[in-house]
Amino acid sequence: MQHRRREYNIVILGAGGVGKSCLTAQFVHNEWIESYDPTIEDSYRKVIDVDGRSCILEILDTAGTEQFTAMREIYMKTGQGFLLVYSITSLNTLTELSDLRDQILRIKEAESVPIVIVGNKSDLEEDRAVHSNRAIHLSEKWGRVPFYETSARKRQNVDEVFLDLCRQMMRADANSGWGSDGYGKEKPPGGKKPPKTSGGRQGRSRFCVIL
Amino acid sequence: MLAPSARNSTSSTSSSFATSSFTPVTRQNTIGSDGPRSVRASKRYSVTALYLSMSAHDKDIEIEDELAKVQKTLRDLKAKISSQSKKNFVLEKDVRYLDSRIALLIQNRMALEEQNEVASHFDESSELQEGTFPNDQKTQQYGNLFFLLQSEPRHIASLCRLVSMSEIDSLLQTVMFTIYGNQYESREEHLLLTMFQSVLSAQFDTTPEYSSLLRANTPVSRMMTTYTRRGPGQSYLKVVLAKQINNLIELKELNLEINPLKVYERMVKNVEEDTGTLPANMPRSVSAEEAAANPQVQAIIEPRLTMLMELANTFLATIIDNINETPYGIRWICKQIRSLTRRKYPDAKDQVVCTLIGGFFFLRFLNPAIVTPRSYMLIDNVPSEHPRRTLTLIAKMLQNLANKPSYSKEPYMAKLSPFVSNNKVRINKFLNDLCEVGDFYESLEMDNYVALSKKDLELNITLNEVYATHSLLEKHYKELGRDTEHLSIILEELGSAPPQLPRKENRAINLPLFSRWESAIDDISAALDITQEDVYFMEAKSIFVQLLRTLPPMSPAVRRPLNLRKIADTAATMKDMGMFRKGMRGLELLNQLKDLGVITDLDNYQILQEEVEQELVHLGSLKEKVMEESKKLDEVYKTIRDHNAYLVSQLETYKSYLHNVRSQSEGKQRSKQQKQHVLGPYKFTHQQLEKEGVIQKSNVPDNRRANIFFTITSPSPGTFVISLHYKGLHPQDPGPDITPGCLTIKVHKLTVVTLPGRNRGLLELDLKLDDLLEMQQNNHDELDLEYVQFNVPKVLALLNKRFARKKNW
Repeated sequence: MQHRRREYNIVILGAGGVGKSCLTAQFVHNEWIESYDPTIEDSYRKVIDVDGRSCILEILDTAGTEQFTAMREIYMKTGQGFLLVYSITSLNTLTELSDLRDQILRIKEAESVPIVIVGNKSDLEEDRAVHSNRAIHLSEKWGRVPFYETSARKRQNVDEVFLDLCRQMMRADANSGWGSDGYGKEKPPGGKKPPKTSGGRQGRSRFCVIL
Repeated sequence: MLAPSARNSTSSTSSSFATSSFTPVTRQNTIGSDGPRSVRASKRYSVTALYLSMSAHDKDIEIEDELAKVQKTLRDLKAKISSQSKKNFVLEKDVRYLDSRIALLIQNRMALEEQNEVASHFDESSELQEGTFPNDQKTQQYGNLFFLLQSEPRHIASLCRLVSMSEIDSLLQTVMFTIYGNQYESREEHLLLTMFQSVLSAQFDTTPEYSSLLRANTPVSRMMTTYTRRGPGQSYLKVVLAKQINNLIELKELNLEINPLKVYERMVKNVEEDTGTLPANMPRSVSAEEAAANPQVQAIIEPRLTMLMELANTFLATIIDNINETPYGIRWICKQIRSLTRRKYPDAKDQVVCTLIGGFFFLRFLNPAIVTPRSYMLIDNVPSEHPRRTLTLIAKMLQNLANKPSYSKEPYMAKLSPFVSNNKVRINKFLNDLCEVGDFYESLEMDNYVALSKKDLELNITLNEVYATHSLLEKHYKELGRDTEHLSIILEELGSAPPQLPRKENRAINLPLFSRWESAIDDISAALDITQEDVYFMEAKSIFVQLLRTLPPMSPAVRRPLNLRKIADTAATMKDMGMFRKGMRGLELLNQLKDLGVITDLDNYQILQEEVEQELVHLGSLKEKVMEESKKLDEVYKTIRDHNAYLVSQLETYKSYLHNVRSQSEGKQRSKQQKQHVLGPYKFTHQQLEKEGVIQKSNVPDNRRANIFFTITSPSPGTFVISLHYKGLHPQDPGPDITPGCLTIKVHKLTVVTLPGRNRGLLELDLKLDDLLEMQQNNHDELDLEYVQFNVPKVLALLNKRFARKKNW
């Protein structure tokens, strides 16, 4: 019998116009979307290899437009891992992430859930309005949630954020396999250094122990 | 002097506005088709509006004809809608807050202080008491401040840009529902739109590229959401969407999924369930490309594509056909987006411009209502899975139409591209047509004079709204920009802003508005740069129309053809002082106009007489329109009230829940002191519960239903026992068609136990309020009692109604 591949549901959240769709389309199809095409709800699937294991990723790209927030709750229920995306050109988009995380934790009834903070549009350095320190600060506050700056346009760090999220979900999976009742209870292993941001070359893998 | 022909041509324009200040805003949609009016003509219509509006407040004579009655009904209705939507806005905020806290409460993770904080959100659900400011001086200063804020929207516009997203909600509440809260008053509506424009154009100035325009969540987008949820926006959504969405959600089993992967998965699942195994050529998971290439999948998808396109076409057709129902304000915003885009990006093609209009009209207004119709009060329940997906697909298709779709995101959507290519021309025309509405700047100037001349401007506002606005102004004052001289004088006088009052001490006040810098207008013709003849003529017309509407229909004076002098004479000889005065004034005006050579008694004042007749004809057809509008607004008001009832019941639920939690934690401290209040049992028949919707499905045969009844007891706060009884049956006997015995039904954490025994029901259900709330929280609407299925929200409502322990917490 064919070894059954793991399947994970990823949900992309963040304010309108931060580049959620561009990021996802780059990751899944290796394509850069030029046109003005606000998302209402798109789904993608991609099979990837994470540390020698094949995973199926079901990726849900959501509307950033605030008028659609009523749909979020359903997404959060089905999602197992979340990319919280902001744009480095707008501070507001970063501050909005806190509410999203609160809502996720509440709906998941957990103290931690696989999340990656993504600061997109890193190619627009001249328009930068958010210093990476602010995101790092947020990451620390949330218990050292991994943080990357990405450029969907230049395809920098795109694979890395998805891979990082996958590893977190796999680890959560493994932890719950040990008989603890959910990834919520298990704190991430200590000794993790606060993530660094140095442009495009930063996506080093952090924890590889997967049981 | 006016040429008669010119006067006639303008009077047709003016008459459509002659219904005084409560002219429905939507009717101004027709301005665009009239072509450009001269400034002068627009001022003339304004003068008519002014006279009629003053006469509406004129205590001299009370017009009581049919038109006046229906107009009064309409006016009352509008006032009710305005105040009710404000209440709902506040309630929604509370419910939203509690929604986010209740999960924590359920998990008992909330600290005591926080419980108190939560509790404070219930205080305001009761009506606010009337109150006043500490002294007259304050009343005057604040009255002047809010007049300034209202009539010079630029201050609030700047403020909206400066405040943080966390401050914006309370600011918007004050702005949208209080300062410009009369949703159907043209002056307030126009001032609000002016403010919009100023915030919008600032956003255009600060956004580097058009692709990120109007995308982010900013004060502007929050304003747009709030704005679209006012009365007119709600009516419109109901007209264009409610029927179709309701038809669609009836078809619960209609699956129109066209994503090959999802279709394939379901197919595999069906095969597996039917046969128990999977054929070798049917792997469990495939790639998107493989799924799309699968002939069986294609065969399933093909007819669905046709159906989706048909559905989307009906939605689109209704939207396009109802262009004239679209609220004026929404169309005007579209127009601003178009002109700002053209100004900022002169090279932008029409396609780009349409994309941005669509980015507001579809993305911010229509599509959210299509995708989540429940939160826009279009339907009662959350749609089930298939209709929800169909609605999402339709919204996506409409959005694709408005924007340039990139099928690289979801390749399967490309199959729907015929819908886009077939309708592209149509949609671009529609979006451009949407922008074809007139501006209001000239009438706004006039409306402001009218407002000043009324001298009885009042604002119904709460102390906390006043203080919150004051404190925001204080905080951001330095950044407000130019032309703030008057504002700074008042802020200086007011000193620092008082802190927010506890909810219990908050008061509603009627703040009289005035301006110390602008005095009421005495000489209108000078203020507006129009001739004295114009003013006399309009006043005369207005007086004769009033007289004709007030004189008894049998009076010889109202016989046709109209004899204006006779009408005035008749009125001037009446005992009623009001009529007497109007009659005298009418005679005086006839003479003055004659002396000025505008009219002549040789032709029986024909010019004036004709205009009076025209006005009466217009008012006659106006009655029909007013009644029609009242009917529509009645619907809206009903929806808003239903929504209010829903919000209130939601708050009630939280309230009893919190009460429960608190009395439990109190109970821990002084365990036995607490009295055990047993409430009930209350008895309900099967029929009763069915009627109220508590029973949403029943397996009891029709002929047995009369024998079934339920009792509900609350042994302690927050716990309920629901028992099912069968009349005329000894508990030991097995009921016909109802087999007791020890059965346990699991519904989440609920257990139903049947215990045959003394006086107990056939079936008993121990319910904890927490569990019900949790079920509701999870959108789990069914409570299965084996023989009947209860609807969770309705059960909660019933329990609240019967067992609310309102006083003692």
